[in-house]
Amino acid sequence: MSIRKRADREYAAHLQGTLDLLILRTLLFGSQHGQGVARVIQQQSDNVLIVDHGSLYPALQRLEDRGFIAAEWGVSDNNRKARFYSLTQKGRKELSREESEWRRIAAAIGRVLDGQPRKA
Amino acid sequence: MFWKRRRSDTDFRAEIQSHIDIETDRLIAEGFSPAEARSAACRRFGNVTTLEERFYESQRIALWLDDFLRDLRHALRSLWRTPVFTVVALSTLAMGIGANTAIFSIVNAVVLQPLPYPKPAQLMHLVTQYPGTPRFRVSTPEYMEFREMNRSFSAVGAYTEGEADVTGGDVPRRVRMAAVDSRLLDALGIKAAQGRLFAPEETEVTGNEILTTAILSHELWQSAFGGRPMIGQTVEVDGRRREVIGIMPPGASLKDQRTEIWLPLGLNPANRQARGSHGLFLIGRLKDGVTEQSAQTDLNALVETWGERVGVTDHVFTPLTANTGHILHMMPLQQEVVGDAGLSIWVLQAAVGLVLLIACANLANLLLARGETRRNEFAVRRALGASRGRLLRQFMTEGAMLSIAGGIVGVGLARAGVHTLVTAYPTSLPRASEVSINAPVLIWTFAISIATGMLFGLAPLMQIGAHRLLTALKEGGAKGAAGATRQTIRRSLVAAEVALAVMLVIGAGLLLRTVVNLTKVDAGFSPSRLVTFSMRLSGTAYRESAARIQAWRRVLEKVRAIPGVESATAMRGLPPNRPSNSINTDIESYTRTNEGPVEVVDYDQSVMSGYFETMRIPIVEGRGFEETDAASAGRVVVVNETFVKTFLSGQNPIGQRLRRLGWYDAAWWTVIGVARDVKQGGVDQKTGTELYFLAEHAEPLGPLAAPTTMNVVLRTALPAAALTKTLEQVIKEVDPAVPIARLRELDEVFAESISRPRLLSQLVGAFAALALLLAAVGTYGVLAYTVAARRREIGIHMALGANRLNVLAHVMKEGFLITFIGIVIGIGGALVLTRLMTALLFGVQPTDAATLVMAIATIALVSAAACLLPAWRASRTDPIVTLRYE
Repeated sequence: MSIRKRADREYAAHLQGTLDLLILRTLLFGSQHGQGVARVIQQQSDNVLIVDHGSLYPALQRLEDRGFIAAEWGVSDNNRKARFYSLTQKGRKELSREESEWRRIAAAIGRVLDGQPRKA
Repeated sequence: MFWKRRRSDTDFRAEIQSHIDIETDRLIAEGFSPAEARSAACRRFGNVTTLEERFYESQRIALWLDDFLRDLRHALRSLWRTPVFTVVALSTLAMGIGANTAIFSIVNAVVLQPLPYPKPAQLMHLVTQYPGTPRFRVSTPEYMEFREMNRSFSAVGAYTEGEADVTGGDVPRRVRMAAVDSRLLDALGIKAAQGRLFAPEETEVTGNEILTTAILSHELWQSAFGGRPMIGQTVEVDGRRREVIGIMPPGASLKDQRTEIWLPLGLNPANRQARGSHGLFLIGRLKDGVTEQSAQTDLNALVETWGERVGVTDHVFTPLTANTGHILHMMPLQQEVVGDAGLSIWVLQAAVGLVLLIACANLANLLLARGETRRNEFAVRRALGASRGRLLRQFMTEGAMLSIAGGIVGVGLARAGVHTLVTAYPTSLPRASEVSINAPVLIWTFAISIATGMLFGLAPLMQIGAHRLLTALKEGGAKGAAGATRQTIRRSLVAAEVALAVMLVIGAGLLLRTVVNLTKVDAGFSPSRLVTFSMRLSGTAYRESAARIQAWRRVLEKVRAIPGVESATAMRGLPPNRPSNSINTDIESYTRTNEGPVEVVDYDQSVMSGYFETMRIPIVEGRGFEETDAASAGRVVVVNETFVKTFLSGQNPIGQRLRRLGWYDAAWWTVIGVARDVKQGGVDQKTGTELYFLAEHAEPLGPLAAPTTMNVVLRTALPAAALTKTLEQVIKEVDPAVPIARLRELDEVFAESISRPRLLSQLVGAFAALALLLAAVGTYGVLAYTVAARRREIGIHMALGANRLNVLAHVMKEGFLITFIGIVIGIGGALVLTRLMTALLFGVQPTDAATLVMAIATIALVSAAACLLPAWRASRTDPIVTLRYE
């Protein structure tokens, strides 16, 4: 595998991890269907993060497979049949772990960006 | 089930649908019209199908199995829709695979499976070899010396085989007997099922003591004694009471001889005198870690220095030269048992292999033809993104399913076939009783089924090569001239079928010629209207030669008196197939030069009066035996033509004198006549030298000299079956304890002597016929297809003035071209392959022109028949209808 490809793959994994984190976070407030998750992320990020549906559903499936979220068919606000996702106990733990990891890295990046040239 | 998906794709699809619905609702709430809202929602969502596929692909195992199950369903459905194709394909496969299974079960049992003894690879069979005599017996002193000198074998034992009359059940019966020493049983590693085997002292003698034990085979114990407790019981064997000390496990046998009773051999280890009296065969077990090769090297070294080692100069093993010396020869016991049947069996395996290849080619063609109709389907599927691999897998699934189903039916056929074969020819094959459809055979069948399925299953793929996709699509519904490449593939397949069939037909033809030649061999006497049976005078009443001679005379007297019997006689060895009993002979007027033949007479035949007359063997010089000879003390012999040619060429044989060395006495015998050569060692063997003397003349030579077992032969118009009752009655009058064995017509004896070549030619013939049929079906198929595809072309030709005959000739020509190419290739292949079976042929060369011509004629005829129907149909084409139809 070329270096270029490996870098791509790691980048993708990173993005995936981010989306996973956002989904878990969204579900912290209660169960939600896929469309709802996408909308909440979009609204809360002031339309900065527009979720690609092509990534959302595989991500939901992945999280479900790993046991972080559970799914159940239910009825939406406007009486549509929809698949509702909710956070499992395992998912909560994952969320807090991922969240603190993210914050740690964000803070680190922030420090670097804010940093003053060090005196020797 | 373990592969059950966590989530179905319909569920996934429903979720996406619900997403779009919810989005649509929201957009409507924002003021969009429903239609706008819907399309916007869809647009926003992006490619649903791609997403679905991604979901689907993530479930990999499930996907694979899903594909497989779908392929299976698909295959089943499409096979079900085309029942004619399915039945033709299945029966072709069932026959092809069935024949392979049957023959492989024979290969497996006879050639591949080791003999049913512990560590069978260590067992070696030892015989004596003379110049020109590859397999002869070992004498007692030679055996004893070898036992002492041998370094490679952990055990060496001796045996002889023969027959014995066993009384003990309701009727006396003739059984197959093995006389063995305890060392032989040690070497073989047989254990008794009941009782015990012989102790060393029970099989050897020091003087004239009589050994009185016996071991029964499981089979004899069951059939003659009903399985009742027999250990310690007495049975009468050849009129002598013997104690049963053991019973063998089922199937235990000396070599493959279906031994029924085991008797102690009774050798005297101190006997070092009768060096030339060769009566034994030896079996040795190699020591652990000793290879066959090192044992052979060691044996050769022993033969080099044998004389020095034992301090003997007369009649001792010395290395072979062109016509001197004799050696102890060793070969694996398995080879001794299988003998030359191995080659026949491999020829059969090759034949069925070719049949299966033809079947494969045929099926490939069938699938190709089917593929034609499915070509558009494949092209569309390729265009829609089905990968080549995906289509390939579907073909293989179809092929494998057909061939496994064919294999299952084939195993059924094979089972029935093998059973019939073994029942019909129990003695034509060595180890026939071991032949069965067992696990290794089933594994083989499964393997060839899969391989076959893949081989022909892939054929249609050749026609959907990606580069021709476009063409296929373009051709679309228009029935243009079929693609040239596809036609080439199909024609090549048929030509290959014809080529393979040609090889088989030539092989079968050569074997058939062999059988015809064998039946046409002049055995030297007229076997028709001769009935024969065997008798053995072995009871206590027959200790003396005189008593036996008297009994033989009485038997003949009574048999000759039976109405319908023209004449009768008796002889020790029954022509045309009996073991050689060569004897060293001193011929007075013959002095052996270095190049001249050794003074050994191959066949020593003792006969009762009327022998030459009853057998209708012409006396070419001098006279035959007369009644007065039997009564007189003058010792006279008749020799055969080969004897005269070998030892007395250029001399008048009548009045010559000879004596047999190592016999009862060394008196001179006078030649009174020369009889025409009679086949002795099999009709396919060259005639050996033969010496006839009257059984009566053995009487004064000692109690053992007169024959104990004789074959009575009567010339009569009656069949053997009609004589059974009378003969039993007549013999009972002579001695009620003596059974009649093998009562049959001499024609039957002849048939049996060539039963293996006959069986081989019948089987290969059947396979060749099958091959012809398949090739004919293939030829027919490809031509029929061509004609159908070219209907329009033919129609135009006819509209332009071609007459029916032109069209007929045109199609026939095409068929013949394929056949011709096949024949040329086939002959080439046959010339290479048939050379390998030279050893199985008799009186015919592998390159026999007549056989080649016959084979070509047969193929051409069959091919013509196969071409005729499509050609005729083409010639019936109505140009108007055809052109309008298009």
